[in-house]
Amino acid sequence: MFAIYKKELLNYFTSMVGFVFLAVFLAIVGVYFWYTNIGGMSGNFESTLSSVTFLFVILMPILTMKVMADENKQKTDQLLFTSPISITKVIVGKYLAVVSLYAIGVLIISTYPLILFHYSSEIRLATAYSAIIGFFLLGSAYIAIGIFISSMTESQLIAAVVSIIVMLVTFLMPQLTKMLPNDGKSQVIIIAIVWLLCAWVVYSNTKNLIVASVVGVLGEAVIWIGYRVKPEIYNKMLSKGLNGMSMSQRFNDFTLGVLDYSAIVYYVSIAFLFVFLTIQMTKRKRFS
Amino acid sequence: MIEVKNLVKRYGKHAAVNDLSFKIETGKVVGFLGPNGAGKSTTMNMITGYIAPTEGQILIDGVDIEEDPDAAKKNIGYLPEIPPLYPDMRVREYLMFVAELKKVPRKERVKMVSEIMEKTKTTDVSERLIRHLSKGYKQRVGLGEAMMGYPDMIILDEPTVGLDPGQIIEIRDLIKELAKEHTVLLSSHIMQEISAVCEEIIIINEGKMIAIDTPENIINMINDTTGVHLLIKGEKEDVKNALRTIKEVTNVKYDKDSPVGFVGMTLFSQGGTDIREKIFFNLSEAGLPLYEMKKDEPTLEQAFLRLTGGKSRQFGGRKTKKVKAKTEEVKSETEETENEVSEVESKEAEVKEAKAEASEKKED
Repeated sequence: MFAIYKKELLNYFTSMVGFVFLAVFLAIVGVYFWYTNIGGMSGNFESTLSSVTFLFVILMPILTMKVMADENKQKTDQLLFTSPISITKVIVGKYLAVVSLYAIGVLIISTYPLILFHYSSEIRLATAYSAIIGFFLLGSAYIAIGIFISSMTESQLIAAVVSIIVMLVTFLMPQLTKMLPNDGKSQVIIIAIVWLLCAWVVYSNTKNLIVASVVGVLGEAVIWIGYRVKPEIYNKMLSKGLNGMSMSQRFNDFTLGVLDYSAIVYYVSIAFLFVFLTIQMTKRKRFS
Repeated sequence: MIEVKNLVKRYGKHAAVNDLSFKIETGKVVGFLGPNGAGKSTTMNMITGYIAPTEGQILIDGVDIEEDPDAAKKNIGYLPEIPPLYPDMRVREYLMFVAELKKVPRKERVKMVSEIMEKTKTTDVSERLIRHLSKGYKQRVGLGEAMMGYPDMIILDEPTVGLDPGQIIEIRDLIKELAKEHTVLLSSHIMQEISAVCEEIIIINEGKMIAIDTPENIINMINDTTGVHLLIKGEKEDVKNALRTIKEVTNVKYDKDSPVGFVGMTLFSQGGTDIREKIFFNLSEAGLPLYEMKKDEPTLEQAFLRLTGGKSRQFGGRKTKKVKAKTEEVKSETEETENEVSEVESKEAEVKEAKAEASEKKED
């Protein structure tokens, strides 16, 4: 695992991607830091961080697009997966390498509150650092998503574009859910349609019509019986569910100075889930 | 030792590998031969654990690769069709990475990498970026990757494809060198390559086993007629009379372009019989000087074409007939046509000669 980790991390600096990432990352955080904190005479580093979270939508796909897609394209995955090392270790090694590169950037910006502290001892360092922890976890979760998307294709470009779209959607989720109709009936219809799509995904993956139709019919039955019995539970159900997918929303808790454990658990679980999915995706390819 | 039992790989309904079973003993060099799309790469990818078989079992030194992949993969070095190189790494850096990946102990890594660069003659490019290397060098770095950790078994998928003749010879020598210490399985659709280095050949077509034997035996399998080519000084009629008494001859074919005053011909006889002595004595009795005599050796190419049905086939097509029956059919067909052709040719030659004689007389 360490071999993969080392190779990936070094590769970021031999191919310039690492330097470019750090340069852009530090430049943008620096500009905001200058405007909000130094120029704006504000001791609130949290608000700086919360205004640069949009960075992830552009920067993270650049970091992650190559990770698996390039191995698939250059056929170097044949070396990795015929070596005496498990697929899990390969992917975890790669994930940790990207997270480490990102951590370098975060480490550098974590000196900024100290600069502010130098000017005024009234700066709340605890809040600033809780925000930095949240910022780091948010980025790490996005990296996992990016690697998962990268593992599904051979083309770096496709990986980057799909990642940007997915991250943008999670980023804009609160605004998107506002556009949905809020009454129970329309929400239940949307849920029912989404469930049918899920059943179709099951069918296209297993090619087993019986299983897919059982899943579809049972799910639909539960949804509609639930609606008959107690229609009010569907009020705002979809909006709430979708808002749960909004990753940047959770970050606001951190910027309020709350070290919210549920948010930490949320980010860590997203990271785990997508690393796990990447491993499964790669293992599945052996059988296709 | 590699043991493959009833291996099947299906992509949808199409079976790329269909019920393949064979055994490769330790210390042997085995050639894996088949037309494009026969399932060679698929089989190799399964043996090395890159893809999973649909059915069947693969044992590497008695270890099932699906059950204990790490233990099984430790004994295998694999060079896929496209060498798995990272273009923006340097050669030494890449080989060090491979050494770490293959779990070569830390202390031995530097030494082993230098040793392997020495063996593959890549020491002088060790600090160059892989993207700047020529195809031949890339292939050698790939071979270095397969050798890393000195596994018991080395599997090479078309190692000489796309190389120039000089590079092919170099890679072939390297493979021979490897064969001294490792079991080597090597795939190719090129005959000479296999016959140059392999002790045993596995021929597959459309995912099925056609033959597994030594190169000599495979030639003998199809060797039912032997041809002897002769160049004799003298008139055609005299030669005919002199050789008429050899009963084993089943067919005669005259060259079209024999030099003036000479007769060039090929005599065919049943496989296994040798008529060369009789030819010599008959001709010397008749006082006809023999300039050339050469036994036509059937080549592996011919064997291969006959056994695989004479066609290469890409993925996707389907044939309903059983392969064995098909090859036998083709076999008998080709024999018939050969005989016909030779008769026609000899007749044509006779007619031409007659015409030539006639024209000579006219000129006189």
